[in-house]
Amino acid sequence: MAAKNKRYALVIDSKKCINCKACVVACRAEYNVPLTYSRPWINEETRGVWPKLMAAFQPEQCHHCAHPACVRVCPTGASYQRPDGIVVVNESDCVGCRYCMIACPYDARFFREDKGVVEKCDFCVKRLARGQLPACVETCPSKVRVFGDLNDPKSKMADLISGREYRLKKPEAGTGPQIYYLM
Amino acid sequence: MKTIEWGYLIVNYLFLGGLSAGLFFVSALATFLYKIEEPSPYTRIARLGALLAPWPVMIGCGLLVFDLGHWYRFYKLFLHLRLVSPMSIGTWLLVFFNVIALVNCYAWLTAAQRTELFARIPQRLAFLRRFNYDIDHWRRHLALAGLPISVGVGIYTGVLLGAVQSRPFWNTNLVAQLFLFSALSTGCAALILGLARREQSAPELKLLYGLDICFMVLEFFIVLPYLIHGELSVQAVQDSLKLILGGPFTVLFWVFFLGLGLVTPLVIEITELVPVMLSNREFHYRRPIAAGTALLILFGGFLLRYIFVFAGQMSAMQ
Repeated sequence: MAAKNKRYALVIDSKKCINCKACVVACRAEYNVPLTYSRPWINEETRGVWPKLMAAFQPEQCHHCAHPACVRVCPTGASYQRPDGIVVVNESDCVGCRYCMIACPYDARFFREDKGVVEKCDFCVKRLARGQLPACVETCPSKVRVFGDLNDPKSKMADLISGREYRLKKPEAGTGPQIYYLM
Repeated sequence: MKTIEWGYLIVNYLFLGGLSAGLFFVSALATFLYKIEEPSPYTRIARLGALLAPWPVMIGCGLLVFDLGHWYRFYKLFLHLRLVSPMSIGTWLLVFFNVIALVNCYAWLTAAQRTELFARIPQRLAFLRRFNYDIDHWRRHLALAGLPISVGVGIYTGVLLGAVQSRPFWNTNLVAQLFLFSALSTGCAALILGLARREQSAPELKLLYGLDICFMVLEFFIVLPYLIHGELSVQAVQDSLKLILGGPFTVLFWVFFLGLGLVTPLVIEITELVPVMLSNREFHYRRPIAAGTALLILFGGFLLRYIFVFAGQMSAMQ
């Protein structure tokens, strides 16, 4: 039986990532994000010495932390956490002080000069309300991203987290990140 | 996507806010020490401090407002009080501090200055002239009320940075203490600069030198543990300290802030004051040296904010 309280999170299987950036493009189209910024992005890392080289790609974005530093420091409460765990920015309350950007250990937020407010990934809350998946998850051709409810034991996410090893990024920041990177 | 979000506006605000906090603090201390019936050096320190205190912080608050995404949205900061957000606490501290510093400034005007001020009010606003009250007797109450708030404003600028877990360069309580004592010492320096313009300020400068030496020694002994403890801390903190230990801010920190902005004025003040105190001679000062020392302290205070704001934003957890 699914738990009543939802806790949305994301599992990322980075080994499947081919750096096609479809997630970045889908998100940009969904939210009209200017070309100079991205809500999700992909870190590229090259390891080894020629001729033994390896390229690793790691998708990155807001971690929708359990104890978000951005929410704590926000002076107006514009950044807040919904009961389902998603961290969002209420643009009408945001004064553009950018303290949240400085507090985020993942540098997952950016400042929209044109709007004068801070923006970030919101797990596509509007699409979720319509019963759709986040745009980046839906578009990913190699199925790197698995979105779901941590409190639902029947979800694919629950299988992956219980059956595979994973790691969290920068857990020492104490914010309780909720993106699970499969090993 | 790492960017430098807080720039010169914030650096200047942190400096000006600290300067005002220092001016008010020293002025309030002097207010407690003087007796109204006896004109003393304390009176001149208290008056000059009170008259100068409101203006730097008001300019600083203006800079803060213009640093926002849209300046006219600043009122939203006053619609909320969030005790977990250092910026929200600071917003309200600044409001109280500005009000008290302004009223205190008014309380220290002489009767002639007050009359002149009210005479300048245009005829259309003549009703304002009714407020020409003599509130000299409020001075001590205002000093008492403002003292903890001025300490709050001085320390808050450091807390604002220190409360950010993700920036290892900032994330220690020592930053708050460092900013507080730097603020108090820049307040002292501004008063030294103001009083050194006259020839007969020896008693005032003697007091201010003594106070300033205390503040700067405390500041120096906060910088040392900041560096030592940082080097003994986790990797992220050690890496962040590389910004001032071989990184882009090394010369700025060691030569210009620590050398010219802290140790040099400290040594000058000690060599000017300590022999006088030990031998019980009368204190004499040379105006260019007093003014130069004060300028170095102000320069050091500004550099401290500059280094911390930029280096802190460049530091990150690995």
